[in-house]
Amino acid sequence: MTYIATFFSHFGAIRYKKLCESKGWPARVMPVPRDLSSSCGTCVRYEGSELCPSDQMPEEVEQIVEVTQSGYVCRHRAMDS
Amino acid sequence: MKLKNEKLAIALAGLGIGIIAALLVLFGNPTNMGFCIACFLRDTAGGLKLHSAAVVQYVRPEIIGLVLGSFIMASLNKEWAPKGGSAPLTRFILGFFVMVGCLAFLGCPFRMILRLAGGDLNAVFGLIGFVAGILCGVFFLNKGYSLKRTYKQPKLEGAAFPIIQVIVLVLLVGFSSLLAFSESGPGSKHAPIIIALAAGLIVGALAQRTRLCMVGGIRDAVLFREFKLLLGFIAIFVAALVANLILNGTQEATFFKLGTQSQAVSHSAQLWNVLGMMLVGFGCTLLGGCPLRQLILAGEGNTDSAVTVLGLIVGAAFCHNFGLAGAADSVNDAGEYIVGGPGINGKVAVILGLIVVTIIACVNTFGKKEEK
Repeated sequence: MTYIATFFSHFGAIRYKKLCESKGWPARVMPVPRDLSSSCGTCVRYEGSELCPSDQMPEEVEQIVEVTQSGYVCRHRAMDS
Repeated sequence: MKLKNEKLAIALAGLGIGIIAALLVLFGNPTNMGFCIACFLRDTAGGLKLHSAAVVQYVRPEIIGLVLGSFIMASLNKEWAPKGGSAPLTRFILGFFVMVGCLAFLGCPFRMILRLAGGDLNAVFGLIGFVAGILCGVFFLNKGYSLKRTYKQPKLEGAAFPIIQVIVLVLLVGFSSLLAFSESGPGSKHAPIIIALAAGLIVGALAQRTRLCMVGGIRDAVLFREFKLLLGFIAIFVAALVANLILNGTQEATFFKLGTQSQAVSHSAQLWNVLGMMLVGFGCTLLGGCPLRQLILAGEGNTDSAVTVLGLIVGAAFCHNFGLAGAADSVNDAGEYIVGGPGINGKVAVILGLIVVTIIACVNTFGKKEEK
């Protein structure tokens, strides 16, 4: 599955990318796509067998969407965001 | 919007914004000041009598238009979302010192591009400082800088800033005797209200749609080798340059003059052009966007950006009440060329600003690690 995760901070994205890579998941840091959000932060696009590379969802994650042929499907959104 | 379309959209928006900026000068705005968020917030602060510098007092409809244009576009696309709570007072302080830097240079990053497009080579020194400041900010971003997360806010909280803009517009149109208006100087030069408001609405909507940001362009190019936002930056420059050259050949007024001397609302104290814009680049990277972007985000319902804009406004009032703003170059009665720039108060304020911004960056980068 291909996912895009957005974050509350740039450093959160860098940490998440490292987490993905530690599981052997290909990941890259990039600007948040415009069609995903009007915010201009940093996101991580990754290929993963599960939604999240860690047992517990990191608190810096704002949302995770799955990239499908028909568009983005929201799989996780932080509380009160 | 797919990548290719997104690039095209940003380029077209940049071209449109550059032309609008040049036309606003034709319609009456000061030279190379079709848009300047810092100058316009300063003029608005003066118009609302928050400072008493008689030459820079006018409630600029462009600012109102930018916020409402963003608000309308975000609402139409269901992107209007009230949120905030990410270190608002820290953002206020950063906004304050970003304005100190802008007024030492005499312009925000947007006007820096427009000054370059008008042939003002003093802005090259501003650009050097601006890039250096962004690189400082990027260093801290990569080390873990964060002002913590935002939270969903009540609708009224997000709507308050756009509502304030409507109230200010009503004051300007219907109760102008309550406001101050410059009779000379940059504040006295302005396009008609309806044109300025329309220009603000269009640019606000375009900037919301494309996320155009003067800081974001350079930041993304450095961080990701991603040049989309930078393309908007370049498109504004190219469009304004071409429009200025055409207007220069067809109008009596000067729209393009190459050099560093006798440029409109500009000084050639180059060290302070560099340091002023370094403060702006550094502060804006920590804020996540340039002053234009803060207005657009405030229109989208981001209350942290609204607080940042309030910091910019209060900063502008302080700059003119305490003599912190730079002076333009001038020629005295004896015909001697006088180099302007910030006075001693302004120089101290810029240095103090760089120190404060560095402390904020350090505390929110290295301090947080110790908290955990």
